[in-house]
Amino acid sequence: MATVEERVKAVTARVLGVDLAGIKLQDEFRADLGAESIQSVELVANFEEEFGIEMDEDEALSVETVGGAVEYIVKLCREQGIEVET
Amino acid sequence: MSRPSKPHPLVEVDEPNLLEDTFDYSLPPLIRFDGPIVEYIDGQPVQFDPKELASRDIHITDTTFRDGQQACPPYSVDQMVHIYDLMARLGGPNGVVRQTEFFLYTKNDREALDRCRALGHDYPQCTGWIRADKGDFRLVKAAGLNETGMLTSCSDYHIFYKLKSDRKRILERYCQVVDAAFEAGVRPRCHLEDVTRADIDGFVLPFVDRLMEMSEQVPEHLTVKIRLCDTMGFGISYPGVELPRSIPKLIYKLRHECGVPADRLEWHGHNDFHKVHVNGATAWLYGCDAVNTTLFGFGERTGNPPMEAAVFEYIALKGDLCGIDTTAITELADYMRSIGLPIPANYPFVGRHFNTTRAGIHAGGLRQDERIYNIFDTTALLGRPPRVAITDKSGADGVALWVNEFFGLKGDERVNKIKVHALARWVLDQYEVNGRLTAISDEELEAKARELLPELWQKYKGSTQA
Repeated sequence: MATVEERVKAVTARVLGVDLAGIKLQDEFRADLGAESIQSVELVANFEEEFGIEMDEDEALSVETVGGAVEYIVKLCREQGIEVET
Repeated sequence: MSRPSKPHPLVEVDEPNLLEDTFDYSLPPLIRFDGPIVEYIDGQPVQFDPKELASRDIHITDTTFRDGQQACPPYSVDQMVHIYDLMARLGGPNGVVRQTEFFLYTKNDREALDRCRALGHDYPQCTGWIRADKGDFRLVKAAGLNETGMLTSCSDYHIFYKLKSDRKRILERYCQVVDAAFEAGVRPRCHLEDVTRADIDGFVLPFVDRLMEMSEQVPEHLTVKIRLCDTMGFGISYPGVELPRSIPKLIYKLRHECGVPADRLEWHGHNDFHKVHVNGATAWLYGCDAVNTTLFGFGERTGNPPMEAAVFEYIALKGDLCGIDTTAITELADYMRSIGLPIPANYPFVGRHFNTTRAGIHAGGLRQDERIYNIFDTTALLGRPPRVAITDKSGADGVALWVNEFFGLKGDERVNKIKVHALARWVLDQYEVNGRLTAISDEELEAKARELLPELWQKYKGSTQA
């Protein structure tokens, strides 16, 4: 099974239309990957779908980097009883 | 530049200070005063105490069927009766909407008057309107009215150029008509036409002095009322302005130099300079008890003080609904639209979009707490919850708000913008991909919500089959 990091990067590449290989953990969704307002919402929605989790809107939209998203999703998966590869 | 002398340290708080003494969401924001108003009159400072408003019997009068009807095709009798009935509900049992006036010249005018009175409402009381012509009193008497307005133009524009007369002859003619009213047992209400363009010392005050002298000879219920008619909208509300345009000075002179009591003074304005509502409220403030209005400001040229604005001003000044049923305002607006009188979409209180936000950032605020971008509880007071119109500026926040409203979701049921991302994307693509330039209608959004939010639709609307 792919790791959380791999799955987060794959979703990010698909939603934002950027090259998967070029995504780094320290990349900021807006400043580095060019996420517009609606795309930030779409990213969160796609993360929810990918991992089968529920995210708090304000918390999720305040995450700025790819690495931050990985940490946040791992935490939520643990809290919501979802098994993931880390 | 020198440093300011008074420091202003930040006051940190644990709870937000929402200033709810003023912004009680269940009412329009209250108008609270913290001191007297000073106006210089004839070089002397004169204090006005605005706090008196809370106890004075200020009220609203109506001229929808007279001045209002001069601005639009005539109402049918049935329409006038329906409007009158709703107006009675709006003003409530305390008579906040105290009087309304009727033409008396045609059979339809008189039938409308009779049928309105037959409804049996205490308020608005029905009064008449005639020209300053002794012969017209037969109409007032025949209608069985206790009071009538009569046109008594008082600027030289009117006296010299319209009436082709002079001050002395006109004053005598007006007084003869007032005498005729007394003889007929009808209270005259002299409409001082064009008063804000008149010679106050040379004609208006002498005329009003004479009317007050004449009133001393009759019982109280016949004493002359004065309507100050700002015919061209020249009146000015703020202190320091010269007569005849100063509303404060005009009212002060009539009250204190001519002895006209507040309950026999009325203000009638026009909106030629966008000052019509505030001028009416100013008249209340400086000692005139009645403000004459029309529904939605319909009236000659640019219109009159809007009744619905005066109603909210009244509540804001009194701090209480005082028996007013504000929901009748929405019904009156719907009715006016249904009979072909358009109301602009952005018109306060009743326009289709008066509490509709288009900006996504505002919709975001509205979604968190409607008080952020709604003027008061418009759902309770007007039956109109705050809305969003969906455009390219709405963002996912606006779409989420629309969805919550559309499905009627409350509390924990309300969905966040993550759940509506597909609909938000469709909206944005309408503009960015398809080059759309118009707002998206509720019908279009409804169809798309059915398609793109099937789980929500099934949960709250049932089948997704059209």
